[in-house]
Amino acid sequence: MQRAAFASKNSLVTLLVSVLACVFLYFALVGSLFVALTVIGLGLALIVFGEYMGKAEAIHTAFGEHRILGIAVLIMFVLTLPFLLKGNNYLLHIVVMGGIYSVVALGLNFQMGSTGMVNFATAAFFGTGAYTSALLVTKFSISPWLGTVSGLAAAAFLGLLFGIPALKTRGYYLSLVTMALQVIFTLMIINTSWLGGPNGVPGIPAYNIAGFSFKTSVVLFGMKLPYQANYYYLVFAILGLAVLVAGRLYNSHVGLAWNAIEQDEIVAVTQGINQTKIKLLAFALGAAFAGLAGALYGHYTSFIGVENFDFSISLIFICMVLLGGMDNVLGVVLGAMLLTIVDEKLRDFADYRMLMYSLILIIILLARSQGLLPKRIRKYGKLRDSKIEPNF
Amino acid sequence: MQTESLTINFGGLKAVDEVDFAIADEVVGLLGPNGSGKTTFLNLVSGIYRPTSGKIIFQQEDITGSGAHVIRGKGIARTFQTNRLCLNLSIIDNMLLGLYSKKKSTWWQAILQPKQCRKELRQNIEKCLQLLEHFNPDLVDKAYDPITSIALIDRRRIEIARAIVGNPRLLLLDEPTAGLNSEETTQIINDIGKIRQGDQQICMIIIEHDMNVISSICNRVVVLNAGKKIADDTYQEICKNEQVQTAYLGG
Repeated sequence: MQRAAFASKNSLVTLLVSVLACVFLYFALVGSLFVALTVIGLGLALIVFGEYMGKAEAIHTAFGEHRILGIAVLIMFVLTLPFLLKGNNYLLHIVVMGGIYSVVALGLNFQMGSTGMVNFATAAFFGTGAYTSALLVTKFSISPWLGTVSGLAAAAFLGLLFGIPALKTRGYYLSLVTMALQVIFTLMIINTSWLGGPNGVPGIPAYNIAGFSFKTSVVLFGMKLPYQANYYYLVFAILGLAVLVAGRLYNSHVGLAWNAIEQDEIVAVTQGINQTKIKLLAFALGAAFAGLAGALYGHYTSFIGVENFDFSISLIFICMVLLGGMDNVLGVVLGAMLLTIVDEKLRDFADYRMLMYSLILIIILLARSQGLLPKRIRKYGKLRDSKIEPNF
Repeated sequence: MQTESLTINFGGLKAVDEVDFAIADEVVGLLGPNGSGKTTFLNLVSGIYRPTSGKIIFQQEDITGSGAHVIRGKGIARTFQTNRLCLNLSIIDNMLLGLYSKKKSTWWQAILQPKQCRKELRQNIEKCLQLLEHFNPDLVDKAYDPITSIALIDRRRIEIARAIVGNPRLLLLDEPTAGLNSEETTQIINDIGKIRQGDQQICMIIIEHDMNVISSICNRVVVLNAGKKIADDTYQEICKNEQVQTAYLGG
């Protein structure tokens, strides 16, 4: 009797917290700058207060028990959001960009959050995916879908190739090497005319399925949705997949090995972890995520230029991981979404935009240096299961 | 395991100087004054350092110059003098690291999560818990606690358990009792004794300064001084050895 009551309390907590999170995100998105900042401040205060009262662990446990419920609420929210926004194409555009950046941030998290390798070249991998797909599709007129897969593969290959010399270094030196790659990438694009040079690549075709172009608006359940909605559903399907892959990696021996490398490389190798291989995996997988997102970005905006992939964009990706929570899959997505929204809302400030952006980052990180949703202890469910025989 | 004139130079210093060493189905104590090259010797055997010259042979196989992860995979595990656990991970995660060299699943199986991959994880968890239970039953209920929340002796136990959970053939213990009081030292020595009871085939090399520990668990003692091996005998004989007395107490 008591147990049943306890279980229902936990499911109620899960329901309440996930609905609250969705409501907060919604108002941060639709409100003016002032409303958005108030909502973010309120959310931040709730998180800090919850942790202070020692409730965070309980909420975490509740979510662990009722994962399906939490996921269901989130999926419902994602599916209905275009209707809630009444087909507002500007707001939808912000969310699509948030989704694309979330995928990149998830990839960066493998390197930065899990393995402790701060990579300043994420925008270069993002750009590799975008340019590969855009050029293949515009010059050789292959299908955008195929172009996207090529973009993913090209970025992963570059990550692997770049990882081999970069991994001779560690810590700050590794970061310096990644900065060098980022600079090389930008300069190479500007100075190579067949890559579009400073003019970028215009006229990138949109995706289409059986003749239906993603650039046409659709009528769904009696509501006319702008073409952004097509991309919205595509990007969030891919983001869902990315979250699934990242979550599984985190909970597996791969995530564990990454964490061990981050803590102590000597200990990690004496446990049998091949550090070159596992670090290269973090680089290649992270780059693959960035490449996929880059290709999506190109086919969504139909124009890419070098300024979309320069050093400052890399810094923004780092901020997303740092703010959301290192090595926390949901935290990284939250960080990416919030920073994309804040960035857009700050357009009112014109020249002072980056100043405000940095100020908000500093305030959030002062209040919560470990990020909004910090790393948690890995859970494998109930540990003791009498049915399982150990394998000696 | 045996080494043949194993040598490593750090600049002009010969930290380990032409050491011939052999171990077969026994517990060997490694003694020597500070800076005599004991830990360097373990670092060479476990593959953290690459020897300047000489050979390391393990189960009839030359493993000289292999990476530390390869050597662990072949069955040589070690602990560290200063407790080295992954501080931001839980007890169970630290234990699972000890089984990393045994895992069969690849990274793409970690993504696709086929049935055998999940089964392997459950089996590994169960094996870690059984070993923890053996060392200290209280730790089983705390398996999800961060490693920082438990006492030093339990951390030492977990480090030893992490080393032996993958059933290594050779265990290298670098000062397992460092920093523990006499009561805790006795407990750890009991635990180490239990390892030998549980797995007759496991050999151990133990670095230790406490002579009671050495006399109670080692079959044989090897003494290093300034990188050179100066004695290799039973504990009783070592105590009478003049060279050893000179090295420890000064001329």
